[in-house]
Amino acid sequence: MTFLAPGFLIAAGIVAAGVGVLHLIITREPSVFRLPTARFAPEIETRERSRAIEPRHLLLMLLRMAVVLVIGAALARPVLAPARTSLIRIVLLDRSRAVADPREAADSARRQVRPGDVLIGFDSAAAELSEPADSLAAWARNPARGRLSTALIAGLRAASRHRARADSIELVLISAMAREQVDAATDSIRRLWPASITVVPVTARTDTASTSVTLRGGPDDPLRYALPPASAAPGAIPVVVVRGTPAALDSQVTVAGGVLVVWPEPPVVPEGWQIGRPDTVGAVAAGPAVVVAPFVRTATHPESDAAPVIARWVDGTPAATERPAGQGCSRAVTVPVPRIGDLVLEPRFRRLVAELTAPCGGRVDWTPIDTTRLARLADAARPARALAAGLAPVEQVPAPWSRWLLVLALLLLAGEWLGRRTVSP
Amino acid sequence: MRELTSGALLDALRGVHWPARRVVGGVVQGGHRSRRVGASPEFLEYRPYQQGDDPSRIDWKLFGRTERVAVRLTHDDASLRTMLLVDASASMAFPLETRAKWIAAASIALGLAAVAHGDGDPVGAAIVSDSVELIPARTRRGTVAGIQQRLVGIVPGGSTPLTPVLAAFRGVRRIAILSDFLGDAEGLLPVAGELVAGGAEMIAVHVVDPAELNPDAGGHIVVDPEDARVRRPLGETELPIYRERFAVFRAGLAAAWRGAGALYHEVSSAEPPDRVVRRITGSARLP
Repeated sequence: MTFLAPGFLIAAGIVAAGVGVLHLIITREPSVFRLPTARFAPEIETRERSRAIEPRHLLLMLLRMAVVLVIGAALARPVLAPARTSLIRIVLLDRSRAVADPREAADSARRQVRPGDVLIGFDSAAAELSEPADSLAAWARNPARGRLSTALIAGLRAASRHRARADSIELVLISAMAREQVDAATDSIRRLWPASITVVPVTARTDTASTSVTLRGGPDDPLRYALPPASAAPGAIPVVVVRGTPAALDSQVTVAGGVLVVWPEPPVVPEGWQIGRPDTVGAVAAGPAVVVAPFVRTATHPESDAAPVIARWVDGTPAATERPAGQGCSRAVTVPVPRIGDLVLEPRFRRLVAELTAPCGGRVDWTPIDTTRLARLADAARPARALAAGLAPVEQVPAPWSRWLLVLALLLLAGEWLGRRTVSP
Repeated sequence: MRELTSGALLDALRGVHWPARRVVGGVVQGGHRSRRVGASPEFLEYRPYQQGDDPSRIDWKLFGRTERVAVRLTHDDASLRTMLLVDASASMAFPLETRAKWIAAASIALGLAAVAHGDGDPVGAAIVSDSVELIPARTRRGTVAGIQQRLVGIVPGGSTPLTPVLAAFRGVRRIAILSDFLGDAEGLLPVAGELVAGGAEMIAVHVVDPAELNPDAGGHIVVDPEDARVRRPLGETELPIYRERFAVFRAGLAAAWRGAGALYHEVSSAEPPDRVVRRITGSARLP
């Protein structure tokens, strides 16, 4: 057991010692008793010193000392922790789509992780792993985009959680270091870690991830004019855009890792969505693409749908979602394509369509981050390890024993009150 | 105060008489022998013999005729004006939780009042707490209830001396003092002696509590409730000295009162009051 705030325990020990000393040396006047025949008692000095060394007073003294010590122990926040080591390593392992070979990343993690260290896997979310091998099977084709901000936040929290187990904590980042994994918050989050980060790069994917888009719609469908040109490059990811209800054949595209985009024309809505009262909304955004235009919205996103949102209306409500399907994914898009006007020919709309027909997880950019950014991420000028004592405040670390110690203190106080009543005359 | 209001005490004393210890002068009809002897007292009536009556007053001729035991009353039978001086000072409120001394004194006073009233004697009381409540001696119905009511309503306190009240009892033929005699005991004796010399019958009832005879020697400081300056330690070492001194005090008190011509009774607050009343009234027999 260790104490997160041992100062309280030390203070309680001093106070308890004082209680014991007072019990032994304090003088008190004997109790007064009304007796009409008091005059017949001999006239001698009425003050005498009495020491509380009778067994009943000793018990009271011990009870009082115990109350003080237990309260001090509760405030000192005891935690049952394994013996402290000198160093704990927190390894952040990239499981995103940018990693070319998941086995390479897993092997790098095995080399870094020692017994007692913490392994956290991340892509768009982060979770603590028990062993690198158990996540290998799930990496065969992980379409999720990795985010370094998510990884760093998970690492900071893990460091705070485990600060009681070691004197120092080291952070190791095993990642493809792709440009798409960095966002505007990454630098700010990085600065929260007081030490350097050991960066272990793994091979990033190099395939261009081009798409080959096929439209299942009418000959006069205006969307045809906004779609990106089909790529003939080998390995292009097939994307099928269905302008109505998809057929079984259409869903086959996701089996091999392609994308099925269900983009019906109003008043039809994708499966699971609800037909709402038409209203006009002024803009829609998907990734970096934004289109400002008076869209007439007819579909309502169900609240029970937890699929990731890839496009939003200007009021924040979802306009398109994506969910995994087979080895690829399926998207539901409710952005109406205007039949009147030349919006579909404008570059901003075409960029929106490019985002909505991009490969699963959005448009990819597996270009490695530049060396300047990499150096900023590693920040070798900082100490290699962070001192555990300097990490997150003690209040954020759970100490369940404190609650029970306070209950024990209350019971001891009740015992002290009972003991005081039997002792007092 | 349940002992004073339950009625059990008065029931237990039904039929008890309190005969005069001395020959009484006076012309009011009563149950005591008149000093007018040798004259031909006019016959008034027969009264059934009651316990305590002088056997020489039994009319044997009547017994021979009717087998009824009755005493002959004449116009010369005298009453005995009786006053009860009840000490209700702070020292009587002991122990603090039960006030057993006060309840004992009040119960005995009530019992004596009921017995005297039952004998046809005018009876009254003076209850001395931090003030004096005087109930004049009367024979009317309700006298005993009035005394009872006053006793129930008293909370012992204060330290008013008894001597001036006793001194005002000149002319009273029978006086009973119920007290712990921890106040102005020295002042009472001369006045009592004067009253006895003047023909009054004096009874001193000394009320003592068992906790005063054997106090708890737990290393306390004991304080006189009527004089806070008196503070003494009372532990195992002091207890034998205390007991000896208190015993000497009680013995001296008994000797002094008897020497003054009074009847002296030491009663414990734990003793049943009806038994005490019987003891007091039974000892008051004509020589």
